[in-house]
Amino acid sequence: MLLTKEGVTSLPICPNGSVNCQLSLEELFDRAVKLSHYIHFLSSEMFNEFDERYAQGRGFIAKAVNSCHTASLTTPEDKEQAQQIHHEDLLNLILGVLRSWNDPLVHLASEVQRIKEAPETILWKAVEIEEQNKRLLEGMEKIVGRVQSGEVENDIYTPWDGLPSLQLADEDSRLFAFYNLLHCLRRDSHKIDNYLKVLKCRLIHDNNC
Amino acid sequence: MDLRHLLFTLALICANDSLSASDDLLQRPQISKCRSPEMETFSCFWTAGNFYNLTVPRILQLLYKKSNEEDWKECPDYITSGHNSCYFNASYTSVWTPYCVQLASKNEIHDKKCFSVDEIVLPDPPVHLNWTLLNTSQTGIYGDIQVRWDPPPTADVRKGWITLEYELQYKEVNETKWKELKPRLSTMAPLYSLKTARDYEIRIRSRQRTSEKFGEFSEILYVSFSQIGIGCDHCTEEVEFPWFLVVVFGVCGLAVTVISIMLSKQPRLKMLIFPPVPVPKIKGIDPDLLKKGKLDEVNSILACHDSYKTQLYSDDLWVEFIELDIEDPDEKNRASDTDRLLSEDHLKSHNCLGVKDDDSGRASCCEPDIPETDFSASDTCDATSDSDQFKKATEKEEDLLCLDRQDNDESLASTDPQSWHRNTPSENSLLWAPFGDSVESPRPSVHTQISNQNSLTSNDFYAQVSDITPAGRVVLSPGQKSKLGRAQHEGCTEQNFTVDNTYFCEADVKKCIAVTSHEENEPHVQEQVYNEDGYFTTESLTTTVANFGAPTAAPPSSETPVADYTSIHIVQSPQGLVLNATALPVPDKEFNVSCGYVSTDQLNKIMP
Repeated sequence: MLLTKEGVTSLPICPNGSVNCQLSLEELFDRAVKLSHYIHFLSSEMFNEFDERYAQGRGFIAKAVNSCHTASLTTPEDKEQAQQIHHEDLLNLILGVLRSWNDPLVHLASEVQRIKEAPETILWKAVEIEEQNKRLLEGMEKIVGRVQSGEVENDIYTPWDGLPSLQLADEDSRLFAFYNLLHCLRRDSHKIDNYLKVLKCRLIHDNNC
Repeated sequence: MDLRHLLFTLALICANDSLSASDDLLQRPQISKCRSPEMETFSCFWTAGNFYNLTVPRILQLLYKKSNEEDWKECPDYITSGHNSCYFNASYTSVWTPYCVQLASKNEIHDKKCFSVDEIVLPDPPVHLNWTLLNTSQTGIYGDIQVRWDPPPTADVRKGWITLEYELQYKEVNETKWKELKPRLSTMAPLYSLKTARDYEIRIRSRQRTSEKFGEFSEILYVSFSQIGIGCDHCTEEVEFPWFLVVVFGVCGLAVTVISIMLSKQPRLKMLIFPPVPVPKIKGIDPDLLKKGKLDEVNSILACHDSYKTQLYSDDLWVEFIELDIEDPDEKNRASDTDRLLSEDHLKSHNCLGVKDDDSGRASCCEPDIPETDFSASDTCDATSDSDQFKKATEKEEDLLCLDRQDNDESLASTDPQSWHRNTPSENSLLWAPFGDSVESPRPSVHTQISNQNSLTSNDFYAQVSDITPAGRVVLSPGQKSKLGRAQHEGCTEQNFTVDNTYFCEADVKKCIAVTSHEENEPHVQEQVYNEDGYFTTESLTTTVANFGAPTAAPPSSETPVADYTSIHIVQSPQGLVLNATALPVPDKEFNVSCGYVSTDQLNKIMP
């Protein structure tokens, strides 16, 4: 399963080429879903590569009952919850998660380069995820602007304080910090991808994807 | 005592062995896998091993814990998923929450696993596989079908909770290896070019879109074209490669190509197959002119031809070189047209040797009838220029030398009899030796030779024929007088002619004759009537005859002893040719026969 970057970025902004065009909500959701899927795909691959290269033999898996910094955000944990939550709230939650990942992704991209003999694939994926996350954030803000009736509340946000752990002197501890961060990234990207698909099916296709 | 110790240790060893053996056979309980088919529920499966006796049921427990909880809880459902399983329904399932499960019995933990539900999603297989015929080939041998299926019922695809992709595999019934189509999101897939005579099997499996592992395969779908009445039982098997058609078309194509070549490009083909043979000719000269005997026109044409030739040659390097090397303009001016013409001819003879044979006809100017004097002369020319670096330069300079020598009679400074000797055997290798250094250094022997030719016969290779007597004798037109240097005289007297198959220049021979006769008769040289050019008019012939008629008193060989071209009377070897006498000196008895080229009268006088 491959989703090339070109497939995601080659979408025209305005199909007709006019200046003041307005994309339909369906278009916006399509792009958002594509982006979120791509981000999750990259995160998954990056985690697998990191796991293969650095985590084997260090017992990280046993310790990986970790908590991500976004755990404080109460997001739907199953299908029922996801179906019951209001789409505006869900959208805001998605925005909150994306915003919360802005900072960690920037630092991930810079700190992963300091890992000894980091493979090139991991490096460019980190940079790519950071970029795509910003774009998804912009897209989501557009969708929220379209869908939201009232004022947009942007206070859903979790700060990240894991930077020192990525800069630990001890290599094992530092690698474990990376492992956790990548694990959390994979999970949250999957969460966002799922939420967006649910929203899309609900709002666009009327629960009949 | 020792025996008891021994028995005891043996017993211990046996006990240990038996215990260890039993330990190897024991398998610990293990959690084999945990799986969620739709991301709403999940189940864990384990193997009990043979650790416990059957009398103690359900001692094994599966405990689970969410990451944000402290206590381990027991499995809520041991039954739904089957034996040795634990089923967590939707209320117990939080998708993105880390879980840990452990298999324990009483206080002993056998196995532990940690995961989150989104990582263990393995969908159920698709259901309701069916196929429809799209179309068949014209021959009815192949057909295309469309396979459709439904997603697994447990997966809630409609609400977008889970996104699945499917992989289809198919094969012929009696094959062993499955062919795969690449995973797709849609629930339908076309299969092209299936053989209608064969039956196929199709199976499909699915996976969550971002996962790597596939779920179980669906039930096999059987495709049989004969069931819908399309199967072609009597159709032949795969059409084999049509060799016959290939051969036929290949032959036809070849034939067409050959014919087209023959018809369209015939001239070129002809040229390829039959390259044109260069015909001996001189450019610009009509052979008819020669037949008619119009010498003036021939002369003019030759002159023009030569000038034309010089133009041609002026493109060549060596010609330019020659032009540069002619430093003395007087020498150039001294040469008459005839001289130049004949020198060009002389050149020509050289050039002919060097010029490669092309179609211009120039190469054919190398007449094989040219007396061997040419070769010796050319050899010397070659020899003289051997010291040069470039062969072309050598050619130039050899020609240059020939030119110079022909023009410069004064350069007959010293004769080198030895060099003359070297030359006469006409051994090329010897020729190269003496001529070492600069080109400009005088080549005495060459000079001797050339000057001999020059003086005696004055470029006698090509003499202008003015008339042919009825008797068959050639009358040559008057040419330029050339000086007879003493060197010639000296050269001939001092030279020892070897009597063998050597060839002598006419000039040399004549010079010998002239000199010897000259010597024999009178010690001094009278140069007055010396018509060393060898060109005679009828008057000069008579006068010389008259002059030569007096054997003793007549000024001897100051006059040209031998006509250049006389008819051959007798060929006597080794004495050489015997000529009809036109104007011949009266040789002495001590005439050196080794010259080899004598006239009839000479011979008559020589021999008894």
